[in-house]
Amino acid sequence: MGQKLIEAENVIKKYGPVSALDDFSVEIPNGKIGILGPNGAGKSTFVKIALGLITPTGGKITVLGEELSKDTIHIRQKIGYMPEHDCIPNNMTGVEFLIEMGQVTGMSFQSSTQRTHEILSHLQMGEEKYRKIGEYSGGMRQKIKLAQGLIHAPELIFLDEPTSGLDPKSRQEMLKTINGLTEISDTNVLLSTHILQDVETVCDYVIIVNNGKLQMKESVKTLMQKQNDFIQVRIGGNVDNFVKEIKKSMGNKEIITKDSILRIPYTNKKSFTQIIDASVKSNCPLYEMERTAVTMDNIYLEVVK
Amino acid sequence: MSEKAQVSNKFKDFKANLTTRPWIVWGMGIRGFEKLFNLNNKIILSLVGIIYLWTFVFYVILAGDGDYPCDFIGTEDGKNFYNCKPISYYSDLQFGGIRIFLVTLAAIASSGLIANDMTDKSIHLYLSRPISRLDYLIAKFIPIFLLLILVTVIPNIIVYITQWSDAGLKINWIKEENWLLLNIITQGIIYSTVYSIIGLTFSTLINREYRASGAFFLFIYGTNIIVEIFHAIIEDDRILLLSISHLLDIINFFIFDKEFYFLSFGALQPLDIDDIYAIITLLVFVTSCSIFVNWMITNMEASE
Repeated sequence: MGQKLIEAENVIKKYGPVSALDDFSVEIPNGKIGILGPNGAGKSTFVKIALGLITPTGGKITVLGEELSKDTIHIRQKIGYMPEHDCIPNNMTGVEFLIEMGQVTGMSFQSSTQRTHEILSHLQMGEEKYRKIGEYSGGMRQKIKLAQGLIHAPELIFLDEPTSGLDPKSRQEMLKTINGLTEISDTNVLLSTHILQDVETVCDYVIIVNNGKLQMKESVKTLMQKQNDFIQVRIGGNVDNFVKEIKKSMGNKEIITKDSILRIPYTNKKSFTQIIDASVKSNCPLYEMERTAVTMDNIYLEVVK
Repeated sequence: MSEKAQVSNKFKDFKANLTTRPWIVWGMGIRGFEKLFNLNNKIILSLVGIIYLWTFVFYVILAGDGDYPCDFIGTEDGKNFYNCKPISYYSDLQFGGIRIFLVTLAAIASSGLIANDMTDKSIHLYLSRPISRLDYLIAKFIPIFLLLILVTVIPNIIVYITQWSDAGLKINWIKEENWLLLNIITQGIIYSTVYSIIGLTFSTLINREYRASGAFFLFIYGTNIIVEIFHAIIEDDRILLLSISHLLDIINFFIFDKEFYFLSFGALQPLDIDDIYAIITLLVFVTSCSIFVNWMITNMEASE
């Protein structure tokens, strides 16, 4: 899996009696990684700890191969950050703000100016870049927030809920922009969100967090493969007999069993007849039968349940 | 290769050549100073203009024939008391000082430095950059400090040069006033530092610019009045250490190695306070303010 972006070992963060991160351990590979979880799961806390903005109560964290507690400032030279909340000054123009952010990162005025105009041309800001940020729409403000995180060409950018508060059209545009900009600049992405589609669109790896703990770590490709159609049935009698009969008629397909509920892969319309036959042959009364689908939503909801 | 592809490659291949932390902080400070001392800030420019005009009128044109830097004004309890121009420069208007202008300038100029970053939350972006919280605070301290140096040290040096010029630009004059220039610079630095730190404290504590300036002004003059009232009742000189303006005046006398006093309704009132108390009080105050500002910013980051 190559070099690790972030390695967290038993990271704990407590706010009084509340644990935002509870013995959280994860190895995050290079690429575009999504941290998925409901609100309050600990995603933003993890991002802020990885940035060195807040100190963990316990544990060890390594970012881009360097231990965070040893040289936070140096690591930040290689990291960009796009916070969740609105945090850009209204009284500056887009250009002025990006130049300032470049200089605060350590770039010279000339270099920062040049890079500002390059990024803003990629973001197709046009002449609006010379307007005050206070006059920008929500989508444009998000673009400026993204641009300031990429101004110094970081190796890794943390995107904290980048589509938060955007309408569906602006959201799609924002995701497209993130994909475009990070691909051409070859930047690793750590996208923290509670919106599943954002991860599907941008990321190639997903980490699901809930209650401050790691719940799942999987490539988006593998998760997508898990998406399939199945028939969910509820039966009475001996489940093992029913499974034997169904395997005889449908072949050796993977059947997921949970008590009296079974998930049988849907092949074609004949599947329903084969299930009824198996029920009769195994002497298992069939109470319910419904065709349904496993989507990433289902997987996510099951993990965070 | 298409034009778009060329732009993309240039964008992709970009490697930022980043400078070191001290230069980032200095750069932020200087840009902050430029913003304060710019033509759009009419109130700040007016106050700076008034201070220079005041200095020119009262310390150059109307300087009179008195001795520079200190005039002997009397003896009490066997102690000699002096009116020193570099000390009276920081006093109230009726004694020829610029205190009210200086406090107003410090209050207005410092109030937005951190408050504005907190209001629009851009402080989070600054603190995610390769600088520490202390770096950020230093970067915010530099603009207000430089502005105050401009109205404390510089006018006093101009008066000093004028007096030297009046004495025929003789080297002997400088020799006679051996430490005067250093004293002038030291007192200017102390005033600028203390007012800058108080300003940043209120700017952090009250994240609305105009309220922060009001609070700064009230803090200086409010404590001044309250402490003077209590001083009249309790008759213990040490209570004056609780007022920043009195504390700085006492430090001023200490720098110029002159007996402490203050004027109450024109009457000279000698003060009986140990130097060490004044120095310790000032150090404790400045340190407490710095720790408080740092704590406020840390707390804000964690709760965001």
